[in-house]
Amino acid sequence: MTMERGELHSVSDASIVMQGTETHAVHLASGPVFPESGYARYGASDHAIETHRLTKRFNSFTAVDHIDLSVERGEIYGFLGPNGAGKSTTIRMLCTLLTPTSGTAKVAGYDIAHKANEVRKKIGLVSEKLIMYPRLTAVENLMFFGRLYGIDRDALRKRADELLDMVKLTEFKDKLVGGYSSGMRQRINVIRALLHDPEIIFLDEPTTMLDPQSTRFVRDIVKELKEMGHTVVLTTHIMEEADELSDRVCIIDHGRIMATDTPQALKDKYHTNSLLEVFLTLTGRELRDSASDHIPMRRVMGRM
Amino acid sequence: MSSEIETWSISLGIARRDLLDLWRAKMLLFAFILMPILLMSMFGYMFPPTQKANPLAGNIPTSYPNLPVALVVQDSGEVANDVSAQFIQIAHSQKLFQVSESPSYQAARDQLIRGQISGIVVIPDGFTAGIRAGKQAVVQVTVDETNPQVAGVVRGELSTIFTMISSNMSARYVQEMMGNTVDPSFVLEPISISGVPLIQGTSSSFQFLAPGFMALTVVTGALSGVAAAISREKEQGTMDGLLVSPIPRRAVITGKIMSQTVRGLIQGFLILGLSMMLFGVRIYGNPVIMLLVMLLGVASFVGVGIILTAIAPEQETAMMIMMLLQFPMMFLSGILFPISQLPQWMQWIGEALPLYYATDALRKVMILNAGLDVIIPDLAVLILYSIVTMTAAIPLFEKAMTR
Repeated sequence: MTMERGELHSVSDASIVMQGTETHAVHLASGPVFPESGYARYGASDHAIETHRLTKRFNSFTAVDHIDLSVERGEIYGFLGPNGAGKSTTIRMLCTLLTPTSGTAKVAGYDIAHKANEVRKKIGLVSEKLIMYPRLTAVENLMFFGRLYGIDRDALRKRADELLDMVKLTEFKDKLVGGYSSGMRQRINVIRALLHDPEIIFLDEPTTMLDPQSTRFVRDIVKELKEMGHTVVLTTHIMEEADELSDRVCIIDHGRIMATDTPQALKDKYHTNSLLEVFLTLTGRELRDSASDHIPMRRVMGRM
Repeated sequence: MSSEIETWSISLGIARRDLLDLWRAKMLLFAFILMPILLMSMFGYMFPPTQKANPLAGNIPTSYPNLPVALVVQDSGEVANDVSAQFIQIAHSQKLFQVSESPSYQAARDQLIRGQISGIVVIPDGFTAGIRAGKQAVVQVTVDETNPQVAGVVRGELSTIFTMISSNMSARYVQEMMGNTVDPSFVLEPISISGVPLIQGTSSSFQFLAPGFMALTVVTGALSGVAAAISREKEQGTMDGLLVSPIPRRAVITGKIMSQTVRGLIQGFLILGLSMMLFGVRIYGNPVIMLLVMLLGVASFVGVGIILTAIAPEQETAMMIMMLLQFPMMFLSGILFPISQLPQWMQWIGEALPLYYATDALRKVMILNAGLDVIIPDLAVLILYSIVTMTAAIPLFEKAMTR
């Protein structure tokens, strides 16, 4: 199966249908992973993600400071900010990987604090790190992670084959992921997050360090995900990418939201035709160097 | 119930993946297998088997076979020649000493100072005459005092050999004097002791060490292995993939514990196999009870590993603290020697460590064929430790993961 630009498919009749704006759940051999599809997935809520005064502090450092976010269902939401602005911390809270210090958040209609497992069923995370075991093959990795979502083994194998075909990795499916090139790694990193057909997909700098061909490929996947009805939260430092892909962007700095709007509206507001200019106007042009004698290791490396 | 089964199934999947990872990491696998082989070979030869430890029956155990000693015979009499011949014969047949005759004490002393020999035996002038006159004769012994351990062994073994020679001579004299009317051994030693072995077959000091090493390997493997596995996944990013999925956090921990336990057991049984093949260790007890003891040993320690991982700021600190725990545990838990040799305060520390109970129970089962009823106090302590540490560890882990 081949894939042209802007045409992400792969799927057989038992899988994702991606033409036009029709959106469908992943129909696997054993039945759909999630019976509802498209907008119906979100129930009564209009928003895929809503936060209210969401805050995260690490000791005396406030990484995220009372933010109110509202991501509409089916949109690509560009989440931008300089290093240390609070993007990753926010995403980790929304993915239930970090507990907020205060405030609330609902993802896919579920409270992240009280319905974390429901949230986890509805989201997929493509982290900047490769969430794959290097000494396992692509198929073994996908089978391992897919099983965590309780997907039937046969259906999962079929789904894995389809997704591998979609990102043109079928030929390498039995090779160890540790031997993959950066572009291949990122492609498989993306499809791992799609195994259970999540409603909301968090993409944390998905094209960093990729060559132009792989970058183009990943961006096309993002567009197709939107066409399939998925909500995509995208963090990136590449303003051109945010401009091209995002329906709306949110610029965050020092843990606070500086602006949220469509890229065009922001450019109009700041009388420029470059999102980068908007970004620099809002977050400043000076370098963000900082150093302390006290290394907050838990923040840098995580608790483990 | 079905969700419980699902959780266990996920844990099994995580454990299987971990073990597959080990299998494919060839260098790691090599080190993993080599570690117990090295450990056992080193300690096996440092504490070699001392079989048939019964000098009264004419067998003299030794940890240092064929030590070089010089024999200086200054007396040319018949008895001196006979005694020196017997000495050489026993020393060689029992592989205790490599005896070389030296022309003079001074020459032998030079050899000893140069480190060429470990001791000097002198049969002095007048030895035969003394015996013939019915007086006690004296054999002079000089040992290399620069090595107290070897010096003690040489002195002890020489003493045993000459006791044997002396007894033979006495028996002959008694027979000459009293004929066959009395048993010479009754005159020489009216009361003797007879060792009834606690376990059948031969015993060795290594029989004592092997269970301790097994317990140590399995338990420390679990202690540091789970922590290392969690830290590695956290740092490489795959832990996010586990935690962002809708599985209970304890399924992750359980999976890690399972894989590390299997790894520990593989190493433990490698140690056992090697000990049996190379050092004559035998199992006298029930292997199922042994397995139970080892599993409880793991359970009692794994919680400590998780707690340390949860509270330490990063992997390096966690590993350092674990080393800090493991090193004294080796000496305080009765693995290398009974802790009754230690000062009282050290014994108290040793008795507070679960490894002490795991080692004690494993040793009793392996060597003494003890049943569950005998090791219940040990098992009770291990279970108590397991409950207390795991109760603290699992919520701490869950919190630490999302802090």
